[in-house]
Parts: sequence; C-alpha cells; structure tokens
Amino acid sequence: MMQKKICLLGAFGVGKTSLTRRFVDSIFSDAYLTTVGVKIDKKQLDVGPVAVSLVIWDIAGEDEVSAVRTSYLRGAAGYLLVIDVTRGQTLEVARSIQARVASEIGNIPFLCLLNKTDVPDWDIGAARIDALREEGWNVLRTSAKTGEGVEQAFVELAQRVLA
Amino acid sequence: MTALSPFDGSEVADPDRNQRLADLLLEVARTLDPGVATVLPSRLAEDPRLDAVRGVLLQKQLDVLARLQHTFDDPEKLAAAISEILPHALALSGARDERLGLVLAPTMERATEASIRKDPNTLVNILYPVMGPAIRKSISERLEDTLQGLNQALRFAFSWRGLRWRFEALRSGTSFGDVVLKHTLVFRVEHVFLIHRKAGLLLEHVAAPDAAARDPQLVSGMLTAIQDFVRDSFDEAGSTSASAIDSLRLGDLLLWCEAGPQAYLAAVIRGNPPESLRVTLRDTLADIHRELHGALADYNGDSTPLGDLATRLEPCLKKQVQAPVRKLTPIMWAFPLVLLAAVAYWWLGQYFENTRVAAYVDSLRQEPGIVVTGVERSGGAWHISGLRDPLAVRPADLLRRAKADPEHIDERWEPYVALNPTIVLRRLQASLPPLPGATLTRTGDTIRIQGGVPPDWIEKARALVRALPAGAPSVDLSGLTDVEDPEYVRLRESIQQVRVYFDSGAPDPSSGQEVALDQIAKETREILEVARRLGFSVRLAIVGHADSRGKQTTNLGLSIARAEVVRSLLRKRGVEPYLLSVRGTGTLEPLKEGEAPDDLSLNRCVTVTVVNVSE
Repeated sequence: MMQKKICLLGAFGVGKTSLTRRFVDSIFSDAYLTTVGVKIDKKQLDVGPVAVSLVIWDIAGEDEVSAVRTSYLRGAAGYLLVIDVTRGQTLEVARSIQARVASEIGNIPFLCLLNKTDVPDWDIGAARIDALREEGWNVLRTSAKTGEGVEQAFVELAQRVLA
Repeated sequence: MTALSPFDGSEVADPDRNQRLADLLLEVARTLDPGVATVLPSRLAEDPRLDAVRGVLLQKQLDVLARLQHTFDDPEKLAAAISEILPHALALSGARDERLGLVLAPTMERATEASIRKDPNTLVNILYPVMGPAIRKSISERLEDTLQGLNQALRFAFSWRGLRWRFEALRSGTSFGDVVLKHTLVFRVEHVFLIHRKAGLLLEHVAAPDAAARDPQLVSGMLTAIQDFVRDSFDEAGSTSASAIDSLRLGDLLLWCEAGPQAYLAAVIRGNPPESLRVTLRDTLADIHRELHGALADYNGDSTPLGDLATRLEPCLKKQVQAPVRKLTPIMWAFPLVLLAAVAYWWLGQYFENTRVAAYVDSLRQEPGIVVTGVERSGGAWHISGLRDPLAVRPADLLRRAKADPEHIDERWEPYVALNPTIVLRRLQASLPPLPGATLTRTGDTIRIQGGVPPDWIEKARALVRALPAGAPSVDLSGLTDVEDPEYVRLRESIQQVRVYFDSGAPDPSSGQEVALDQIAKETREILEVARRLGFSVRLAIVGHADSRGKQTTNLGLSIARAEVVRSLLRKRGVEPYLLSVRGTGTLEPLKEGEAPDDLSLNRCVTVTVVNVSE
C-alpha cells in the first residue's frame, strides 16, 4: 500500500483536529497536541486503483506565541492548510505558514480548506477568497460539523500527491 | 567551435566567394595529396595570393589554434583549464555509470597507501572526526555491557543460585558473568519498526506472535514526531541528521532506536535485554542500508521496491525467557530419592566391607606365622597375598571372625617355616606325642619342655631340638625326667618271664605249651598298643635254647629251629611277622647251669625279649 505523509496546518483553533476526529483513524489523544505539538492520524482511501494510506500529522496550530515546528514538515508529500472563515486573521496566518512551508520543503501539493462553512457569519469575503484562487491556491469549503467537503478534501489531496 | 565556422558571424556568403573558397580548398587538397597535384597542375607554388587568402579566411581559426597550442604547451595553463571542467566531468561520469569509480579505485588505494606510509597522522586527522565518535560509542557500549555483567555477577556472587551458576560456568567453560546474564536478562523484543527517517513513514513492522499491536503506521509516525520534538527541544544547536533517541524506558518497556542515514530501527523490548541485542539491531540496519541504499533514498511512500523487509527484521525478534520452575511430580522426586538411597546403601556397604577387610588384614598381620606382603583392590575384589607357616592359624578362621565376605577376597599364601616362638612351640607340640606328664610352654622367646616322660620320648625331643634351624628360639629340656610307664613295664616283664618248653631233641613245643604261646601273643598285642600310646614301638626277639646234651652245633641248630617254630606259632596267633626276630643260642645262654634233669628241662625252651624301637 502506498503511504503518504500529509500535514494539517493552520492557525490555532481553525478546526484542524475537528476535521480529522470524525473522518480518520486515530489511536492517540489530543493531549499530544499540547505536549509534543503534533498528533498522528491515518486516513485510508482509494484513488482509482491505488490504495493510499495518508498518515496525517495534525500539527498544533500557530498563534502569537508558538510557531509550527518545521521539523514536523520534513518528508511531507502534501498538506491541508485550514482557515477559519469566521476569523479573518487565520487567513493571514495561513499565508504565513504556506510561505514558510514552501521555503522549508519546497512547493508540494496543498489544499486550502475554508472551514466552519456551516457558520453563517463569515469574516472572509469572496474577494479575498478569489484572490487566493488567483494566486493558484486550491480552495475547498469544509465543515467539521456537517462533514461538508472533508472527504473530498482528503481525496483531492491524495490525487494531487499521487499525480 | 562556432568561431571556426566560416559560415557563422555577420558576413553573408555570396556565390562568387564560395566559388573562390572552393578553389582554395581544392588547392589545399592538392597540397595535402601530392597525387592530386600530379593530376591537376598546382597553382600553389606560383600563386602568392594563396597565402593572402589563407590569412584572410582562416585568421580566426589560426588564432584559436595558436591559443590552444599555447595552452597545451604550458602545463600551468593546461592544469588550470582542466581544473575548471574536471569536477563537472567527474560528476557527469559518476552519475552515468560506475566506470569512473572502478578506474580511480586502484589509484586512490595507492595514493592512500603512500599517504599513510609518508605520514600516518594525515589520515588520522582526516578520519578523527568520523572514527572518534564511532570508537567512543563502541567503547561506551562495550563498557556498558561489561558493567552490566559485573553488576549482575556481583549481585548473585554469594547466593545459592550464584553457586549453581558458578558450577554451570565451570561445566560449560564460559565466564561466570555470562552465565549470570543468561539467567537474569529475561527479555523479549515485542515489536521492531523500520521507519523512513525523513518522512516518518513505516517501511516495515514485525511483532512477536502474541504482542499487543496498535496501528504500526501511527506508532512509527508518533515515534518520529517525538524524536523530532526531543531534538528540537533539547539538542537544537548540536543536532545532526544522524542523531536520534537512543533509548526510552517506561516501566518494564524499553524502546531502543538505531538510526541510519535513510531509516532507523525502533525495537520495543519488554524486560532487560543484553547489550548484544544492540549489535543485532545495528547489523540489521547496516545490512538494509548497504543493500537497499538506492531504494531507500528514492523512497516515495511505496515499499514495493524495498522487497521483503519482514524477513530481514524477524531475526531481531529475540527473546530470552527464564527457565520455568518445574514442579516436581512424586515420580520425579521419588526417583532421585531411591537413587540416592541406593547409592547410600552401596556406599555404606562398601564402607563397612572395607572396614571389615582392613580389620581382617590387621588380624592377619598380628598373627604369628603369617606375613602379609600385598593388599590391593581391583575388579571389585580384594587381593591379599603373603607367606604362611602351615602351623599358623588358618586365614579362613580369621576371615570368619572379621565377618568379611569371602567372595570378595582372593588370597594367595606361599608356605614357609616360621621361627616365631609360638610357631616353634606348635611345631614341637605337633611333633612330640602328647603325654600326660609332659608340658610345653613358652616364656618370652624360650620354650620349656618339662615333666616325667619315657626315655625314648626324651630322645625324640632332643632330636627335634637338634633339627631346629639356626636362629630358632631356644628350647629348654632340663625339666624332663626319665619315667617308664608301669603298664608297659608290667607287660614287658610278663612277656619276658614266659617260657615255651620243648622235649629233648624236639623243635616243636611240648604239649601244653599253647597257653604260654597264647599269653605271649595276647600280651604282645597289648604292649604294642601301650607303646604306640607312649610314642614308640616294640619288637620281640625270640631266643631259642637247648640243653647241654649232644653236640654244640646240633644244639645251636635245634635252638634256632625251636625259635623259628615259636615265631611261626605266634604268627598263627596274629602277631605281625615284622615284629618278630629269631635267634638261637644253642647251649651258650643256659637259663640254669647244671646237668640235673630239671636243669636240662629248663634249658630246652624259647624265651622272648621285648625291644623298644623309636618310631
């Protein structure tokens, strides 16, 4: 079976762990996020004829105090960059993270997930989203609460890393 | 090379110019090939324009060639030129195939050898940064291994188990420390993970049969994350890509990691493993890297190119279990008990038998007339040999007294004559006929014979004493007194008083002489018995007599004839002939002198004399 290391990145509280909690296999508690700064989960899916096991490194969110440990990014085949649509500043954090990842490990496939789309009060306008798309970002709408787009996000990223 | 092309540059070639150039080239060809020149008349020699044309058309090329020639001629410049392209050329060749490495290897080896011969310190300084840490690590691990053995050996040195293990070490020829480690280092490798170092992805996982297994992919990812976390947190400045967590312990569980350039091994161990397990892990990892270096470097998440890694990892699943304490069944403890009892019985039997034999040999040695010359044990039996006087005590009697088993004793005795006083006394007692009045005693080394005995007994005793060899104990005969037996004396007198009478001139006894003959025969038998009892024998001398009438010669013959007749008659009465001797005296020994009829009648007779004979 093909294995791929996938990182889950984003600002603190954007819902990364919630995205994985319902849709992936896990044996570790969330306590690892606050201690080691990362929690490993797994998502198995089929991309066409290929069975893929995505080993997901759920990396603790970045905030004013702590930054993402770049050593955790080493060897990643792709990553999901999560943005909380109810907090506009998480988009800027995502930009910052993306730039750092690109400088650390190069341009590898990634998806930008606009999370919490089930919440009506968005803090991010369509213009900003369009701007992201214009920059070449692949943007998907997800909701950990409703499950919207989550499965699709994993499948799409898997397709990209296998391409 | 573009500068050499006459068609490059800004100049545009026209047909006339080309025609001229063709002509020129034809001339050049003729110059190179004289044969051409013979076919076509050359204009070179007589056409000076040719040099001018050459100068115009080939000036650039000639300049380049001149520079190249100059570069080739000047070693410094040639070296500088090559040095600029050499690294790139080597890189291209190395990437293309292995030929460059194969070609350079002998040169490199010779260069290295020459460098070492010239100054070994150069290579030492080069290798020090690599070899130093490796040697320190190796020594450290060896020390840990030694200390581990020493600690365990000291811990169990004076215990009962320690004594048993010491015996086991002696028996097996290994060190005590190794035996202690063998028994105390109980461990089991439950999981072995081979993890890609960069991505933290699981390359292979093997587990002991009943080991609890969580998702190995997640575990390997988390292990890598923790390694990164520790490295980032505590060793950020000095961390290298090769450094990794060495070991982690949580209670009974131990995690050992061995890191390689592309992958690392993580072994989850329960218990207390020996340091030799590290060697196994390291060797396994080294083998994997050596054989799969390229595949590991190009790893993209697909483990198929790596082949069967599980088979390579399985030898790492080592374990050492403590030998279970087996509960003894009644048969298992009864058997050794019976065996022990049998051995004890046999040993005690041997002990008591040996004690009895030793006592028997002691009694033999103390016995006069017996000399023990050899005692040895072989083939399960005792072999006793020596000298024995026939009159000494019989060994069988001593053996019976010692209660030793005669079946286990083989004796060989050679006869000899002992001069021990006791044995000499026995010999005298055995040789002299026993008499009520005679006593034989020993006082110290002297033998005394005392009492009143017949003279022939005394004579016999003296003869025996004279026959004793030199060195024999002294025998005192001064206590013997000559005393005849009264019964013997009575019978002797009675026989000697009997007369067998004859008529005048007759050789046969007169009528009525049968009584006298019967008496002689009867008393002869009695005196023979008495003499035998006294230790000697007797003979009867039959003496014939004749009266004084007639011729002497006739009377002598008549007296002999009368004695012969009496002997014959005694024989008829049961007297053995060898006891009887005959003698005729004629008229020489008359019983009564005189010529009276009574005197003559008395002298016509036969008398019997009893003669003692020593046996």
